[in-house]
Amino acid sequence: MLAELGHFSLVLALLMAILLAIYPMWGAQRGQVLMMQTAKPLTVGLFLFTLFAYLCLTQSFLDNDFSIAYVAHNSNSLLPWYYQITAVWGGHEGSFLLWVLIFAAWAVAVAMFSGGIPQDILARVLAIMGMVGVGFYLYILLASNPFERLLPFYPVDGRDLNPLLQDFGMIIHPPLLYMGYVGFAVVFAFAIAALVAGRLDSTWARWSRPWTLAAWVFLTLGIALGSWWAYKELGWGGWWFWDPVENASFMPWLVGTALLHSLAVTEKRKAFKSWTVLLAIAAFSLSLLGTFLVRSGVLVSVHSFASDPTRGLFILGLLVLVIGASLLLYALRAPQLRSVGRHELLSRETMLIGNNILLCSATLVVLMGTLLPLVHKELGLGSISIGAPFFDEMFVYLIVPFVLLMVMGPLSRWKNQPVAALRNQMLAGLGLSVVAVVLLNMGRDGLSYMAVLGMALSVWIAIATVQEIRQRLSASKQGLAGLTSLTPSHWGMVMGHLGFAAMIMGIAMVTSYSVERDVRMTPGDSIELQGYEFRFLGVEALQGPNYSGHVAKLDVYEDGRKVSHLEAQKRFYTVQRNIMTEAAVDPGFTRDLYVALGEQLNNGDWALRVYVKPYIRWIWGGAALMAIGGLLSMSDKRYRMAKLAKVREHKVSAAGEAA
Amino acid sequence: MKRVGLFLLPLGLFLFIVVFLLQGLFSDPREIESSLLEQPVPEFRLPDVMDASIEYGPEVFEGELTLLNVWGTWCVTCAIELPFLTELRQQGVRIVGLYYEQNMDPDFGGKSLPQIRADIDRTLSQLGNPYVFNIFDESRDTSMDFGVTGAPETFLIDRQGKVRLHHVGDLNERVWQAKFLPLYQELSQ
Repeated sequence: MLAELGHFSLVLALLMAILLAIYPMWGAQRGQVLMMQTAKPLTVGLFLFTLFAYLCLTQSFLDNDFSIAYVAHNSNSLLPWYYQITAVWGGHEGSFLLWVLIFAAWAVAVAMFSGGIPQDILARVLAIMGMVGVGFYLYILLASNPFERLLPFYPVDGRDLNPLLQDFGMIIHPPLLYMGYVGFAVVFAFAIAALVAGRLDSTWARWSRPWTLAAWVFLTLGIALGSWWAYKELGWGGWWFWDPVENASFMPWLVGTALLHSLAVTEKRKAFKSWTVLLAIAAFSLSLLGTFLVRSGVLVSVHSFASDPTRGLFILGLLVLVIGASLLLYALRAPQLRSVGRHELLSRETMLIGNNILLCSATLVVLMGTLLPLVHKELGLGSISIGAPFFDEMFVYLIVPFVLLMVMGPLSRWKNQPVAALRNQMLAGLGLSVVAVVLLNMGRDGLSYMAVLGMALSVWIAIATVQEIRQRLSASKQGLAGLTSLTPSHWGMVMGHLGFAAMIMGIAMVTSYSVERDVRMTPGDSIELQGYEFRFLGVEALQGPNYSGHVAKLDVYEDGRKVSHLEAQKRFYTVQRNIMTEAAVDPGFTRDLYVALGEQLNNGDWALRVYVKPYIRWIWGGAALMAIGGLLSMSDKRYRMAKLAKVREHKVSAAGEAA
Repeated sequence: MKRVGLFLLPLGLFLFIVVFLLQGLFSDPREIESSLLEQPVPEFRLPDVMDASIEYGPEVFEGELTLLNVWGTWCVTCAIELPFLTELRQQGVRIVGLYYEQNMDPDFGGKSLPQIRADIDRTLSQLGNPYVFNIFDESRDTSMDFGVTGAPETFLIDRQGKVRLHHVGDLNERVWQAKFLPLYQELSQ
């Protein structure tokens, strides 16, 4: 019964989307207020019906209703309840339902929190969201219905959730990632609405910037979590694999980052207008492309869902409609846009152009690396594979100029920057960072050039960030008290850049200085790695709710002092007959100790894989810092137009509330 | 109007990508064309899995039309295709095995040779023995040279010792009829 209700509710949601796509847009074009006013209630309806459908599916999982095909394929009565809830997005159909739920949630958020935006613009934005929504609701209902029944012959028990997904990281990774992907739909809708209305001014940028930031923050966290999950769960200590699906999430992130910077220019300097719009379209298009790549089976990846050409064809059709139409609209309307801001060659604008060019080159590199094997094969040139070495090399080339611009940009002024001042600051920063790197590497033998380069770049960014704050302080002439006068969005930039610096440091250290050993051990054995002594205590049997397995216990000593106790597991999931490695990790600020349990050897010894990974936390810590930076920027008062407007209206002292 | 052309560029790029995505939808990414097709088999010197004193090289393929089947006792799908391969042998097809052991990690040693031989004997006596002999690819270099991605895989090698067909996955009645038989008959004339 629940499944039928959910299905029906989804049909109603589709109806809402159709109405939303038509009426508000019509009203906005004709200037009819009544029709424009339907946008909000329709959006709320869209969200509520989708939410209800989603809850129905979740309840079906909790009820172990194996007559529903999707539940039978992705759950099991022995699965713990929290994994039954997350199993809703463990397969293709359910994850798409989550996709549209989040889509509807973003739409409702726009409807709720855009009080300061003129009604016709809001109506258009929501109508665009409705149009995109129609396609995806149709897709769910026609090609990927999660409520399909297995009647009359349904299984007694389900096939269980993929064990890889039975992990805390997996509980939140997909929703976060989807929040990011789908969040770009908002800025996309703003861009298209502005193109349709023919009004692309700097207010457009101001409206869409907080939404872009929100989506970007979610995407950043989502990608970082995915990386952390892979590190923990796949058992070989890697944190990024250049897997096609990772790439698919990385591309919108790169373009989204470019968009954030470009929006800043459009907002403050009224320049780069058509470019910013293109980036907004590109960010969402790449999110959709990512969705397509994951679900169509076009590429080989660990992430692939069921590959069914008809579904792939449907999504591809949607892509062509949504992206093709918006790019066509762009081609027709964008040439009329004129950027008014003028700037000299040496100015912050130029640096940000450079930033955009490099980020877009990086996106193209990833796009090419991901799609080239496909293109190559379809051209009849045979199968090739492009792996980590290609991407690693390209990114090393890109990162050096990128960091250079990252150092110069914040130090430069808008419009025109005197050469001498910038040169002096940069030389000072470079000098300091070289000194810092020398100090940091004293006493380390076996230096790696890459690590030294990475550290220098990282420290340089950090120093430039401090220099920039100092510059602001001396300009405000308030001394340290001036720190409080810096806007939250300024602090956002500072945090974002520091986060990036931390990440480069982590990446450089981990790639160059990780040590790993494959060893065979009998209980009582110990091995020495990087000054750590790993003592193998033995292996015990393990019994979980839906798995059995072995757990290896180790104590780790440093200078004779016990620093950690590790328990690495090897699990056998009985229903899916899958073996899973649960690595044991002792996290640390400057190093991770990592042990994965291998096979038992013939004489009773165990194979173990032991790693010491320096500074790996910095990679995810850096991502977290960047996300915090994004949140800080969002909290800037100048984006609270609705509240400001209200405050002015009521003339009450609502200062506390506005903050 | 020159500006419009510039602004059409993104659309053009997108449509270009779509064409390939569309084609990609209807082809299997896991299907890999062997780079060895129409090439002579790679050079190798390897022992017989049962008797280390016998050594084989590319000359074993000369003069006779041969199926080279890559397998191992650890491989479940191989066990499934063994009965069909045995049937083929009874029909007079010459099948040579290229055997490799999965867990030959030099750090850990893995299975001992007598144990491997015992496992092979047991498997073949249970499921049928299609092989004239088995080449033992101890270090897995030769499988690498052949472009083997896993087991089972089967190569059709002609009388001149050239690779004519490379099949990834199990060889069953359907695959044999559709993919191998026409070429096999043509080559055996």
